[in-house]
Amino acid sequence: MTNKPGMIALAAVSALAVSSAWADEIKVGVVAPFSGPFAQYGVQYQQAIETYQAQHGTTAGEHEITFIYKDVGGVNPDQSRALAQELLIRERVDYLAGFTFTPNALAVGPVITQSETPTVIFNAATSAINAESPFFLRTSYTLPQVSAPAAEWAYDQGIRSVVTTVSDYGPGIDAEVSFKAAFEAKGGTVTDSVRMPLSTTDFTPILQRVKDQAPDAVFAFLPGGPPTFSFTKTYNENGLRDDGITFLGTAETEESNLQALGDLAVGLHTAYHYSAAHDSDENRAFLDALAELHPDGIVNWASVGAYDGVHLIYEMVAAAGTDGPAAVEAALGLAWESPRGPIEMDPETRTVIQNVYIREVARNPETGLLENVETGVIATVGDLGWNQ
Amino acid sequence: MNRRLLSLLLILLAGGAAYLLFPYNLAFLTRILIMIVLVLSLDLILGLAGIATLGQAAMYGAGAYAAGLFAIHVWADPVAGLLAGAVAGALLAAVSGAVLMRTQGLTLIMLTIAVAQICAEIANRARGVTGGADGLRGIRPGKVLGLWEFDFIGITGYWYAFAVMFLVFLALAVIARSPFGLSLRGIHESPERMVAIGVSIYRRRLAAYTMGGAIAGIAGALSAQITQLVSLESFSFTLSAEALIMLILGGTGRLYGAILGTVIFMAVHHVAAANDPFNWLFVIGALVLVVVFFLPRGLVALPASLKRLAKGGRHAGS
Repeated sequence: MTNKPGMIALAAVSALAVSSAWADEIKVGVVAPFSGPFAQYGVQYQQAIETYQAQHGTTAGEHEITFIYKDVGGVNPDQSRALAQELLIRERVDYLAGFTFTPNALAVGPVITQSETPTVIFNAATSAINAESPFFLRTSYTLPQVSAPAAEWAYDQGIRSVVTTVSDYGPGIDAEVSFKAAFEAKGGTVTDSVRMPLSTTDFTPILQRVKDQAPDAVFAFLPGGPPTFSFTKTYNENGLRDDGITFLGTAETEESNLQALGDLAVGLHTAYHYSAAHDSDENRAFLDALAELHPDGIVNWASVGAYDGVHLIYEMVAAAGTDGPAAVEAALGLAWESPRGPIEMDPETRTVIQNVYIREVARNPETGLLENVETGVIATVGDLGWNQ
Repeated sequence: MNRRLLSLLLILLAGGAAYLLFPYNLAFLTRILIMIVLVLSLDLILGLAGIATLGQAAMYGAGAYAAGLFAIHVWADPVAGLLAGAVAGALLAAVSGAVLMRTQGLTLIMLTIAVAQICAEIANRARGVTGGADGLRGIRPGKVLGLWEFDFIGITGYWYAFAVMFLVFLALAVIARSPFGLSLRGIHESPERMVAIGVSIYRRRLAAYTMGGAIAGIAGALSAQITQLVSLESFSFTLSAEALIMLILGGTGRLYGAILGTVIFMAVHHVAAANDPFNWLFVIGALVLVVVFFLPRGLVALPASLKRLAKGGRHAGS
C-alpha cells in the first residue's frame, strides 16, 4: 500500500497534461441531471448556456470558455462528489457549475474549498449550502427568499388567517417554516399546517380540511408535475376558489408545467423571482435568442439561474482568470441586469439579491398561452434564511 | 488451492493496475469498490442462500447513517466507523430478518422493499438527527489507522476501499466454502431436502441475512466516509435494484460475478454517460438485455459459453 510510485506517476502525467493544455482555455464543469426523471434540469441549463454563448461569444477577457457536462442522474451526493473530483483532477476545470439538488451541492463543499474552485449553483435552494464553502455562489434563489415575501404580501392584502399545505420533505418544510414566521411576525395567524406525503396525488381530504376551516388563504408548496396539477384541480373542484380562499404559492405555476395546468390555473397567485413573461428588453433578448437555438425550448427559473450563472462566470474569468479566490472576490457585490430584473451578488450570503414579484396566472390574449403576469415587486431581498 | 490463490492475486493485480492506469479517476474507481462490497453482500444473500431481496439498500443506508453519526458524535476513526456501520447493518438485518425470513418469493421481495422505504421515511422525519432531505453533513473522517489522511486526489480513499473490499471478498470466500456456506447452498437448491436432513432453514437464512446486512452496512459506512455526506437516497429502491442488476450481469452465486458485474456495469455507465450525458441509458439497457438473453448465468459464464460455442454445441450459456 505504498503511495510513492503512484504519486510519481501522477506527477508525471499531470506535468504532461499541463504542458499540452491550451493556455487560454478555461473549462467549466457542469454537474447536473441529464438523464432520468430530472433530465429537464440539465436540458434547461444547457440551453441557457448555449444561448448565453450565442449572444456573448465564447471568450471572456482573453480566455476561451468551454463547458463540460457531467450527468449526476438525480439526488446522488456520492456521484456528485466523484464527478466534481474527476472534473477538477482529470479535466482540470477552473470553475464548477450546475447542482440541482441540495445534497449534491453539499457533497462538493469540502472539495471546492480545498481546490479553491468557484462553484456557481444554478438551482439548489437550501440556505445552508453556501455556509459549507466560501467558494459557493448562487444565482438561483432560496426558499425563504420567496416564501417570506409571499407571507408579507398576503398580510398587506388583508389576509389574516392562512392554512399552509406543504409536501413533507426538506424544501416543503423550509417553505412552511419561513412563511409561518414571516406571516406571524406581521400579525397574521397560521391556523393549521398540513404536511402532505410527497407522492400523493389525491388532495381531496387535505383541501376539504382547509375548506372546513375557511381561512382567508391557503399557502401551498409542492414539487412540480402531477402533484401541482392535481392540487390546483382539487382546489377548484372542491370549491375553495368559490369560497374566496386565495391560493398562494411559489414555484407551482412555473413555465414548464404551466400550459398543462390549463384554465384551472388562471388567477392563481404566486410569489417568485422569475417569470418568462417579465417585461424587459433583457428578457425578450434572452427569449428570442433561446427560441432561435431551441424552437421548442421552455424558459423557466432553472434557465435563468443558469443564464445568470454563466454571466457570473464570464465576469469572474474576465476579472481573475483562473485565480479562484480572486474570482470569488470579484464576483461579490457584482450587480447586473438579468432577464429577471436587476440582481446583485450579496457579498455576505453569496446568493443573489433580487426582486420577488407577485404574479397572477392569466392567458396571453395574443398567443393564447398561459403566463405568469407580474403585478408588482413585493420585495428586493437576499437570502432571508442565511441567519436561521 | 493454487487456482484460488492465483485468482486472489489477480484481484490484487487488477487493483494496482487500475490505480496506475487511471490516476485521474480514483474517485470513480473508489465508488466501484464500494459498490462491489454492496453487491458482494447481495451475492451472499441472493446468490448463495437464495433469499430474493430488493431492499439491500436498507442495510446500506443504515450503515451509512450509523458511520456518519458515529464519526460526528463519537469518534472520527474510519475503521471504528466501519464497525459501527457493520453493527447497524447487522442489527437492522437481524431485526427485520426475524420477520422477513419466515416469508418467501414475492411476499419477501415486497417486504424487503417496504423495510427500505420505512427506513428512508424515518431518516426523512428525524431531520434533527439525519439532516433529512438535505443530507447528513459534517462527517470528517480521521486518518486511516492513524497513518493515512484522506487526500484530495483520493489515493487514500482508493486503497482504503480496496483493502476493505478485498477483506470482505476473502471473508465471503471462506464462508462460501465453510459447512455453513454449503448448507446455505443446500437450502438454495432444495429446502425440502435440507429440512429432511434436520437443518433449521429459518435460522440459517436469518444468519445469512444478518451477515449480508453487516457487509452492506460496511459498504454504506465506506460511502459515508468517502463522500463525507449521507443522503436519503442511500435507502433508495434504485440502489437496491442497480445492485441486483450488477449481480445478475456478473453472475450470481460466484463471488467473482459480483466483482465483474459491478466493474462492467459501472464502467459502461461511466463511459457512456461521459460520451453522451443524455442517452447513455440506452447503452446500459442494451447491455443488460444482451447478457440476460445470451448469458443467463451472467458474464462469469462467458468463457464456458464461448468454449461450448466453439465446439459447435447448442444452448450456449445455458
